[in-house]
Amino acid sequence: MSSILFDNVRVYLSGAFFPAQKVLIEKGKIAAVGSKVLKNVETVIDGQGKYLIPGLIDAHTHLGLTDHGYGPSGSDLTEWSEPITPHLRPLDGIKMRSDSLNDARRSGISVCMVSPGNANLIAGQCSILKTYGNSADVGLIVEQAGIKICLGEEPKHLLEGRKAFPTTRMGMAALLRETFMKAQDYHEVKQSKKGLRDRIIQMEALGPLLDGAVPLRAHAQRLEDIMAAIRLADEFKLKLVIEHGIEAHKVAGLLADKKIPVVLGPLLMAERSAETRDRIFECAVSLLDAGVEVALTCDYPGLPVETLRIAAAMAVQFGLDEKRALQCITETPAKILGIANRVGHIRKGYDADVGLFSGHPLDIRSKLEVLVIDGEIFKFN
Amino acid sequence: MRVILEKGTIFYQGKFQQLGRLVLDHGKITEVTLASVKAKKPKVGGKEKGDSEKIVNCDGKYVMPGFVDAHTHITLEEEGIGWVDADLNEQFGLVTPQVRAFDALKMRDQALSDARSGGVTTMMVAPGSANPIGGQACIIKAHGQIAEEASIRESCGMKLAFGENPKRIYAEQKQFPSTRMGTAAVIREWLMKAQDYSKKKKSKDFKDRDIKLEALLPLLEGKIQARAHAHTADDIITAYRIAQEFNLDLVIDHCTEGHLIAKELGRWKAKAVVGPTFSCRVKPELRHRTFDTVRVLLDEGCMVAITTDHPVIPIEGLSLAAALCVRHGLEEERAIKAITEYPAAILGLDKRLGKIETGFDGDVVVWSGHPLDSRSKAESVFIDGARVL
Repeated sequence: MSSILFDNVRVYLSGAFFPAQKVLIEKGKIAAVGSKVLKNVETVIDGQGKYLIPGLIDAHTHLGLTDHGYGPSGSDLTEWSEPITPHLRPLDGIKMRSDSLNDARRSGISVCMVSPGNANLIAGQCSILKTYGNSADVGLIVEQAGIKICLGEEPKHLLEGRKAFPTTRMGMAALLRETFMKAQDYHEVKQSKKGLRDRIIQMEALGPLLDGAVPLRAHAQRLEDIMAAIRLADEFKLKLVIEHGIEAHKVAGLLADKKIPVVLGPLLMAERSAETRDRIFECAVSLLDAGVEVALTCDYPGLPVETLRIAAAMAVQFGLDEKRALQCITETPAKILGIANRVGHIRKGYDADVGLFSGHPLDIRSKLEVLVIDGEIFKFN
Repeated sequence: MRVILEKGTIFYQGKFQQLGRLVLDHGKITEVTLASVKAKKPKVGGKEKGDSEKIVNCDGKYVMPGFVDAHTHITLEEEGIGWVDADLNEQFGLVTPQVRAFDALKMRDQALSDARSGGVTTMMVAPGSANPIGGQACIIKAHGQIAEEASIRESCGMKLAFGENPKRIYAEQKQFPSTRMGTAAVIREWLMKAQDYSKKKKSKDFKDRDIKLEALLPLLEGKIQARAHAHTADDIITAYRIAQEFNLDLVIDHCTEGHLIAKELGRWKAKAVVGPTFSCRVKPELRHRTFDTVRVLLDEGCMVAITTDHPVIPIEGLSLAAALCVRHGLEEERAIKAITEYPAAILGLDKRLGKIETGFDGDVVVWSGHPLDSRSKAESVFIDGARVL
């Protein structure tokens, strides 16, 4: 892995662009940032007239779980038959050579959270990884980073077809409550003197969630479903992140008080369903103004992964300032994912994840020319 | 914010009287003065500085307590949406005491603004009648953006269902039960299990909670009511028999054939939520439905409320259903009580709802004319002292 120097480039540092800077990358980390970095390295990239920003982070994707164009053999998104599958682990389904990861890199995304699909009540575990590598383990940051649950229309649709309990919001809430209750009792017995011999893989998987080590990542679009997630989290004292949150702005104050972040999107949809009919592009700015932490997502394959920058640009179009819009796709998702100490900023000692754009990164005409992930260079010319 | 309603006719202490002034302050009714009583001088310093005050002249109008419907399914299936919002029945669950209507409330539902325009301010919301044990009912007011704002009680009763519905649903699935005997047996079996569970739970190292049985404990302990969906006389009596056996606080919902066993129900001091009488006899168990039921049961000493069973008939129809009972011989004061203080009493809320009285919730509706005249309109609706229409 060679050392890289970005020379004479406009760098995004703590909320603003600073011209004529140098960024030195060594051993996969950012070694120095400033106007006076003096070091000769083999790879020098001239940044004249260009913009360097932290690698983008999408805190909610299904990258690698689907391999488009290969039909069912390429799809590992959703376990259709069971509503409760906390034991599913994304790493076992990610296909690193799928086009989607290539597309993610071409869009400037260096870090993603990958979770199982959007239809099981408890869909499985969430993993955070870099978007490169011969196997998913190469760029793995956190394997068990959350438990994904789904509320509302999509799990209802899946459950309807099973002709079994549950099929309503009442039943969905009750089954989630029942599962968490069982998991509490299971872990209490496990930690007691008596202990237990017959482990249950689903219950094991829920341990870190009940301990508060990882958050509940709740797919919830509508107000009612967001409230259902909050109710559950309160009841079982769980950390909570709202995923999608199309109507989150309606309870922005409550989310701010409870310090519940929102991974917002995708908003840019042509066809709206019953539960996305109230979506507005002002959602991000309303939430941020109320004090809620917001990351923007394109929910790949909900939207093409290339639209992450567009989501941030559209938030600007509808009232958000550029600084906070960029934060929504860099440092805030890093914070929500609990990895803000190593990604999301161009800062000495941080992972060498940077993207070089031909112009302002929120100008959709700008092109990504170089992406570096952990010091690994990807050039797009 | 203080609201003062002046003049007009008020339904107060069980009859229509002339209103002097009615004050709503901080969500509550703080003063009721009749026109016949000399107005007291306003207390010096009674009004805090900065408190705004709104005076509503009700001359020629009727000032009523907000109506209460003690049996609805409002917002469980948001109107005009379809399957996405169909959250009424867990029709594959059979025994689902663990499910809560509260978890499926949708406060955006247009039906809630219909409720307000019909002068209805409080509703009990229950799961449907597909299951012998259907789930937990809640009580809400007709305002608020999220369920927590509207909530009076998250869980007030356990829905049980007798008669045609459960046996039809499970016979279609080729499952037990397909008879009335089977339905009763399922209910009895689970109540029995819950009794045993309650004993088992007292042991120290008990760490194996069962969510269904947990949900049935408050019912056995009398903390929530048994809300028994029963139309026919025999189904009503089956519900009563089970309630006696397990010492449950029973409310009969629908009670369509109640008038046929009025003597028995009167002797038992039964609580009945009657209706929707304003519907057609679409199934055999409705064949004896009549608007006489409410009067006959009241005459026998039962506690009786009238219900729309929304969405079976729309919630705005509550006062019309009461008016139809008057057409069938019920005095108008009792008809009004059957949509105000009686349902409040059945729901255990008679200390705060269903009447205009000092200290009660500020749920007041100003009608353009007599509230049982279908030409009258609810002009202003106050819930917890705030104007919501």
